[in-house]
Amino acid sequence: MSNPITKDRRHFEDLRVGEVIQLGERKLSKDDIISFAKEFDPLPFHLDEEVAKKSLLGGLASSGWQTAGFSLRMLVDEFLSKVAGMGGLGFDNLKWKRPLMKNDTLTGTITVSSLRRSQSNPEMGIVVLDFDMRNQKDQQVMTLSLTNLVEVRDPSAPIKGDAA
Amino acid sequence: MTLWFEDIDDVTVWPLGDYTFTEEEIIRFAKRYDPQYFHIDPEAAKHSHFGGLIASGWHTVSVGHKIMVDFMYAHDAEQRAKGEEPGVSGPSPGVNKMEFKAPVRPGDTIRFDLTVKNKRKSNSLPGWGLLTSIISAYNQDDELVYRSEIASFSKLRDYKPKLKERVLLAMAAMPVFRKLLRK
Repeated sequence: MSNPITKDRRHFEDLRVGEVIQLGERKLSKDDIISFAKEFDPLPFHLDEEVAKKSLLGGLASSGWQTAGFSLRMLVDEFLSKVAGMGGLGFDNLKWKRPLMKNDTLTGTITVSSLRRSQSNPEMGIVVLDFDMRNQKDQQVMTLSLTNLVEVRDPSAPIKGDAA
Repeated sequence: MTLWFEDIDDVTVWPLGDYTFTEEEIIRFAKRYDPQYFHIDPEAAKHSHFGGLIASGWHTVSVGHKIMVDFMYAHDAEQRAKGEEPGVSGPSPGVNKMEFKAPVRPGDTIRFDLTVKNKRKSNSLPGWGLLTSIISAYNQDDELVYRSEIASFSKLRDYKPKLKERVLLAMAAMPVFRKLLRK
């Protein structure tokens, strides 16, 4: 049974290892940082510019989870909204390399690093997406590998490596 | 649980607290950070393999983080009330692993707990220890919702820096050197 929401989107069979997704740009304002911090990460150096200036970070910086959230948003805009996505299994090796400061611009690329069919659910494909997030000075801000599920167009096709 | 590095053990399970997710909040978060159809549109979500609207995993994780921060503040206050000086926790360098195990649906109540799995003195940051903590989230039916392995720093209570390190730290605190270090 085909899914009317996703039937015209790219499916697992349409993806290629090595495909690079160029993300847009997102400038982070003071309001962005403080409103996220109030709701999800109320530490003094994410909430108060004066406290932040005296902290290790040397100024108002976004929560690492907000950097992750905006990266995900850019992935949805450029890729997941055009793909028959089925949600995520999780991620590995998330590294916050340097803080994203007030008025910094977040951008980056995401590369399809692995594609395989699920052994237990033939209608599901597993895609690994490697994030390389950068600021406007091309300094690396965050990296991670996200593992997501994508609908397989033809679940009856044999799964490679499953012949034995 | 802002504890000093020396006081942290690998058996205590810290119950951080719980949170009930509403449909309105799930949609509001997802519209900003994760606007996939099964996170923002209850009707369209019925066609997904989830069978209905679910929260973005990143929303659940962000709420888990907030619950942990609140718990740490409350724990600090308890220690101060007993006349003890709470420990100091530092920034997190990252997340080794995050596994989303079961979806969160509107009305679900999720509880979060934390256990420190591993600790060692940091090589790169003198005076600090590096912790690996497991944060787990469960729903009202005790189903595991997510399990994460997070790295963080915790300050050593008994650390006496060597003279060379004290000089370097004092220099690093001066604005002119901080500027240089950031470059």
